[in-house]
Amino acid sequence: MFQNPEIAIDDLPNMVDLDWQSLDPHFVRRLQVEHGLTALASLAGATAFSVLVPVPPFVTIPLWVLVVSFAIATFAWPGISVPRQGYAVREKDIVFKKGVVWRSVTAIPYNRIQHVETSNTILDRKFGVASLKLFTAGGSGGDLKVRGISANNAERLRVFVLNKIGASIENH
Amino acid sequence: MKIIEPGDWQRTSPLAILFFFSQLIRAIVKNGWQGLAPLAALLLAYKGDLAEKVAIAGFGFAVVTSLIALLNYWFFRFQLTEDSIRIRQGILKRQQLDIKFDRVQGINTTQNIVFRVLGLVVIQFDTAGSSSDEGNLPAVPESFAESLRKRVGRRRGQATETPEGTSKLDPLLRLNWRDMIYIGLADRRVYVVLALLAPFIEKLGETRVDILENYVRDVAEGTMALGVGISALATIAVIVGIIGIFTLISIGAAFLRYHNFELCLEGNTLRSTGGLLTRHEHSMELGKIQTLRLTQSLIQRSLNFYQLLARQARSSQKNSSSKNFVIPRVGVDQAEHLRELLLAPEGSGLTQDPASDRFNSISPFYMRTRILLNAVPSVGLSTLLFTTTGNAYALLFLLWIPISMPFVYLGWRHAGFHFDNQGFVRRSGLIGFRSVALLYRKVQRVTVTQSRYQRKKELSTLRVYMASGSVKIPYIPLSLANQLRDYTLYKVETSKLAWH
Repeated sequence: MFQNPEIAIDDLPNMVDLDWQSLDPHFVRRLQVEHGLTALASLAGATAFSVLVPVPPFVTIPLWVLVVSFAIATFAWPGISVPRQGYAVREKDIVFKKGVVWRSVTAIPYNRIQHVETSNTILDRKFGVASLKLFTAGGSGGDLKVRGISANNAERLRVFVLNKIGASIENH
Repeated sequence: MKIIEPGDWQRTSPLAILFFFSQLIRAIVKNGWQGLAPLAALLLAYKGDLAEKVAIAGFGFAVVTSLIALLNYWFFRFQLTEDSIRIRQGILKRQQLDIKFDRVQGINTTQNIVFRVLGLVVIQFDTAGSSSDEGNLPAVPESFAESLRKRVGRRRGQATETPEGTSKLDPLLRLNWRDMIYIGLADRRVYVVLALLAPFIEKLGETRVDILENYVRDVAEGTMALGVGISALATIAVIVGIIGIFTLISIGAAFLRYHNFELCLEGNTLRSTGGLLTRHEHSMELGKIQTLRLTQSLIQRSLNFYQLLARQARSSQKNSSSKNFVIPRVGVDQAEHLRELLLAPEGSGLTQDPASDRFNSISPFYMRTRILLNAVPSVGLSTLLFTTTGNAYALLFLLWIPISMPFVYLGWRHAGFHFDNQGFVRRSGLIGFRSVALLYRKVQRVTVTQSRYQRKKELSTLRVYMASGSVKIPYIPLSLANQLRDYTLYKVETSKLAWH
């Protein structure tokens, strides 16, 4: 039977005081290791370049400034961005927030999730974190990936969401 | 007529060879056209009796492709089961498709002129899943396609209650030859072609001038001014000629694709037929519609008509255009009427008429960001070029800023949205219009984003993800975006209706 009860906008659950779960603190270190390795590689590249190619200092000095400042920035960035990410699990949906300059909050209702996946790389395993990926309909644009959840929580979330999907299908 | 019962593996009509043949030729043309230039060069460079060699090669090619088409037919079998249709195909690589009826979004058919005489169709299944379960069923009787449609409808539990007596329904919309001309005239591909040809046209103008100039000089004393005048005239003539030819081609294409276009609603299934030589029949269940887009380009605006697109769920691999149900020419009143029918019982308040006064405008701060987006790169580029080359022409890039201003303003003027308790409509466009209507309950996920600047102004951008792509409303008050998000989630989470 089709029903369409009137709803007062103010009575709807809002997202003002959500119990935000932060990402695993180890994830900052894990990203710094990854970015540090990339920075080392580019430092090595810059060194090789300035040793092998006879270029005047007005080229090499800006190059060095660029490479070093880039390395510092990428190294510092996870410390700023990771604490600003988080997720909140609600009865009917799961909410993610992220962003330093552009801040966004994304909500996915369980009854729209098609499947869930957790994954981790070698580096992830070293630091005990994992990625959670939620698939909704609509091609590649419909997927949401959250990196840096502690491996335990990621697995618990996966099972939890899977159960929620099952429940929403049975109710159909 | 042979009745096709569930159970046995069977072949299609031998005329399917025609289908496989044209499919093969199409694949060769699509993948092999890059090879044409070297081939032509080879033929030109070849010395000796060319005609005979070409004839032999052509004959060989025809034999081989026919043979492959024949084998394709020979190895093609299909089987109807209770809830799916299975297709076995492939010569070297055998493949079995299992197309489940409850995943089929629509059954589309095409019918070339030979098939039409014999009452055969090619069925193409439209599924929401991966490309692996999209298949063709060539050269089956029309009645089989019809029974398949019924079966799919039954299977989905949405019995399409077609009144038995009235087999022919009154169409919702019919397009005549005049409409074809309008559709052809508004085909924007002409201008794409023209843009691609632009460098050549310029060249053409120059060479013309050389020839003409010499000629004029021979006849009388040719002046430079005359030369420039002739050059300009020649270029204009060439451009007009090209536009004329391509307009004729696109009018022809409109006839080929949409001739005798008819739109019908049978129960919950929307169906369109049309086409001059090959008849295309598309069908789609109303419940599958994710968004309705009403679009109007500049030319369509001057000719006063719109195009209506019903978008279905996009599959992950395939190109998304095949998932659109296109109604190529509608007036604004027809579009409003169609929307009410297609989204019924919801969506009656979601007017898509761009001129409607229901639309709210977005914050004018939207323009500041757009202006910066246009200005920063052009300032950067001109400074970089000016400092490195010292050429004052580099400063011409700065002209982009005043040129882009009117468009920024138009973009803001045309942006708008309105909503009711079932869905919202988003209007956008620079010189044309696009208005997209959707129902909250079909949303997959919602995001509210704020840039640093938006935070200062308490503004935000709302983006909802549908199974057919995302729709965003930029620069609306944060409180409104949050309310819309919370309401959308409420609708999605309490909806007992299927979103697809």
